[in-house]
Amino acid sequence: MRSVLLACCLFSTASFAGSAYVRVPAGGFSSVLKYEDSKGKQKIVGFELMKNPVTNAQFLAFVRKYPQWQKGKAPKAFAEPTHYLSHWQSALVLGGKVKPQQPVTQVSWFSASAYCEAQGARLPTWNEWEYTAAADRTRHDARKDPAWRESILGWYAKPSNTPIADVGKTPANVYGIQDLHGLIWEWTEDYSAMLVSADNRNQSDPDKSKFCGASALSMADKENYAVMMRVAMLSSLEAVNSTSNLGFRCAKPLP
Amino acid sequence: MGAIMKHLVVPIIIAAALLSLSGCKSEKTDEAAATTAAITDTGGSAAGDFGPPQGEPINAILTSPPLVPPPTGRSTPAKVIVQLEVREVEMEISEGVKYTFWTFGGTVPGSFIRVRQGDTVEFHLKNHPDSKMPHNIDLHAVTGPGGGAASSFTAPGHASQFTFKALNAGLYVYHCATAPVGMHVANGMYGLILVEPPQGMPKVDKEYYVMQGDFYTVGKYREKGVQPFDMQKAIDENPTYVLFNGSEGALLGDNALKLNVGETVRMYVGNGGPNLVSSFHIIGEIFDKVYTEGGSRYQENVQTTLVPAGGSTIIEYKAEVPGTGVIVDHSIFRAFNKGALGMVKTSGPENKAIYSGKEVDSVYLGDKAVSAAPVAAAATATAGGVLTLAQQIKAGEALYNGTCSVCHQSNGDGIPNVFPPLAKSDYLNADKTRAIGIVLNGLNGPVTVNGAKFDSVMPPMSQLNDDEVANIVTFTLNSWGNKGGRVTAADVAQVRKATPRPQGAAH
Amino acid sequence: MKKLLFALFFCFALTTNAATPLPGDSVLQINNTFTNQDGKNFKLSERRGKPQLIAMFYTSCRYICPLIIDSGKGVDNSLTPAERNNLSILLVSIDPKRDTPKALMYIVNKRKLDTKRWTLARTDEKGVRTLAALLGVRYRMLDDGEFNHTSALILLDAEGRILARTETLGSKPDPQFLVAVKKALAPTGKR
Repeated sequence: MRSVLLACCLFSTASFAGSAYVRVPAGGFSSVLKYEDSKGKQKIVGFELMKNPVTNAQFLAFVRKYPQWQKGKAPKAFAEPTHYLSHWQSALVLGGKVKPQQPVTQVSWFSASAYCEAQGARLPTWNEWEYTAAADRTRHDARKDPAWRESILGWYAKPSNTPIADVGKTPANVYGIQDLHGLIWEWTEDYSAMLVSADNRNQSDPDKSKFCGASALSMADKENYAVMMRVAMLSSLEAVNSTSNLGFRCAKPLP
Repeated sequence: MGAIMKHLVVPIIIAAALLSLSGCKSEKTDEAAATTAAITDTGGSAAGDFGPPQGEPINAILTSPPLVPPPTGRSTPAKVIVQLEVREVEMEISEGVKYTFWTFGGTVPGSFIRVRQGDTVEFHLKNHPDSKMPHNIDLHAVTGPGGGAASSFTAPGHASQFTFKALNAGLYVYHCATAPVGMHVANGMYGLILVEPPQGMPKVDKEYYVMQGDFYTVGKYREKGVQPFDMQKAIDENPTYVLFNGSEGALLGDNALKLNVGETVRMYVGNGGPNLVSSFHIIGEIFDKVYTEGGSRYQENVQTTLVPAGGSTIIEYKAEVPGTGVIVDHSIFRAFNKGALGMVKTSGPENKAIYSGKEVDSVYLGDKAVSAAPVAAAATATAGGVLTLAQQIKAGEALYNGTCSVCHQSNGDGIPNVFPPLAKSDYLNADKTRAIGIVLNGLNGPVTVNGAKFDSVMPPMSQLNDDEVANIVTFTLNSWGNKGGRVTAADVAQVRKATPRPQGAAH
Repeated sequence: MKKLLFALFFCFALTTNAATPLPGDSVLQINNTFTNQDGKNFKLSERRGKPQLIAMFYTSCRYICPLIIDSGKGVDNSLTPAERNNLSILLVSIDPKRDTPKALMYIVNKRKLDTKRWTLARTDEKGVRTLAALLGVRYRMLDDGEFNHTSALILLDAEGRILARTETLGSKPDPQFLVAVKKALAPTGKR
């Protein structure tokens, strides 16, 4: 039975249940990242993914129930104090500038993982995220379409001086999932598997001793800059970090 | 020894002598060359380590373009702390055209960094919390992996630090090296770091910082609004803008670089690319010195010098005359159609010996000019009071061909319906005083000549004096079947006095 | 039962070791259960009280992991007996599927590690992710079951805070790292 969690109302304190989960069926998939060890396609096992990223309202309900994750209380090792929820007015008040339906940002990997676990879910893996994000409104894999790439690059080019839009405003892709592009960066469970050299120009020359038998993580499709930039972003982060453009959504196995 | 050998001995000895002589000679030349090279070589990085830093750590002064930090003035190596912040900023790339630049220090190009060879540089790279992207830095002055890129990969809202020793003197580019590198560079993430030679740069009156870059937008050149970056155009190396210092007006108008006559100037010139090589030239100036590619040796007396993408050059000259020098990339369509244009305004007293400005503005007849000899002869005769009719006619012909034949034609036929004929002209023959008046004052409105109607405009011939008018009219009266006769300078003077000059006539 | 990450540090108040909570930047706050080469379960908070070296590895690693053990030994050999007594070394496997206590014991014997001071341990996959995230270790499992991972030897103080780390591996210790280790072990140093 599919478990559907209803999108919560504003300021809900009763439950911090996330938005609805959408089923993503199993499939074969060629990641844009060329893993030297794998032979071509990755196999994606069917899973469920949140329709939208987690919002400020939902995260607020979460920290009400689990005060150890509140701003100011979360231990340094799990959320860097200078940035964690720094845009919220206080630990339990969003404040005028922060809208409830915006995706929550300035959250660390630890806090995002904790949120997902609290509802019996987890963060999606990079492959699951990339697989779902390869789709557009009509196609399962739009990655070769230059127009699709340009529109994604367009978001990267815009500065952060405009407030982030609310979730749910972009058209759903062919799976029924929204906001995978054009809104925020998103944490994945295995962000730390982005074993890219910090100097991204060395991609095809793996530092075998730095990455212990490094199988070079290079780009199979060098023109997919949209994905390249997501990988660059994730590879620059430590679990304890947060940024003003980085949020998350949760995934869970099929029921 | 046999007879044969005896014959060979001398040649052999001579040959041997010659060989050894030439051997000595080339050795000497080699030695001399080697010595010359040894004196002027800087020794590169092997000779660039002057030991540990001395004294208190120094906070580097960074400047925004087009300004350059002052010389370090040091003679010992120091520890220099550089704090450079990355900011993603929306700014105008051209009037009414906005672009999201990714910058070092909030400007394109980024802040200018100045250190001395042998300095230990503690580099802090900060990525502003509002940035969307992670960034890093590759300084071409760094000897080390990625030029520092491997050690400076920084997420938004965080900072990185690494330390390097500047072993080589020179003018070096720095730029972001985060994937995709081309996009980060195309968005303006580059600047210059100067590593002074141990003795410092020779003193000049002014120093400026200029850096060229190519930019790629979805919209056309000068298409208004917020323009996004166009990746395909960048791959195709087809820029929309080619600019100095990141925007079309960066070095124009009030932002032009300023100099005074008599001053020496040095420009630290970089090229961030990402794609194009620059043919750097300043219209109206010659570079007395060019430190090719920003290295240690200079060439002299250069008009245009190449600046590689990801490279630099240093140019010096002395301003000798006032005026505006125009900085261009001499691949000239870039200058006039894509914005690769800047200005250097030099003020001060003129020096006509070097440049006079326009001296003469004279009529150039080209192939319409005929020999002016008869005119000269007539002038002399007139002066001597002995001008003959024949001389007048000859002079008049020369003048007619230079002035009147353009419209009335050399055979006096004019052009039907446009310019009236002078040949066998009933109008001309009827009244020579009227003819003089027409040459002096012009003629507007309808006339009938030889039965044909004309309605044109003849301008007053203000450039002719009395003698010239007299000679021309005399010539026409005596040509092409006209009735003949003579007009004197005095006749012309009288008509000139008696008739009003029309508006616009000179005199 | 899956351990819920958000309940991580509920337990620190319940540990027998300390009455005061662990500092906010202590790695020992991780709540997952670890199992050592003898099959005995423990929590990292139980190792509070003395400085320790910690690293992540796996037993079938062919390239660098043997060097991690060499690095640990290298530091050991540069210490005085008194210093050595105060330092323990913990290696945690990133390959819990294959690194059973038996596999861990095999390495202990092969490399002749003194189990009074050396502990080889495993935890579940979630615990591996969390510990790696806390230590700044990055890893990826390959198709053939091998791993790519960054390799670092990390020094924790008695409260579990990270004091130093080195990525220079081998039996000749990183001199700067060694200085940090000696400083941590000095009697007037950290508690």
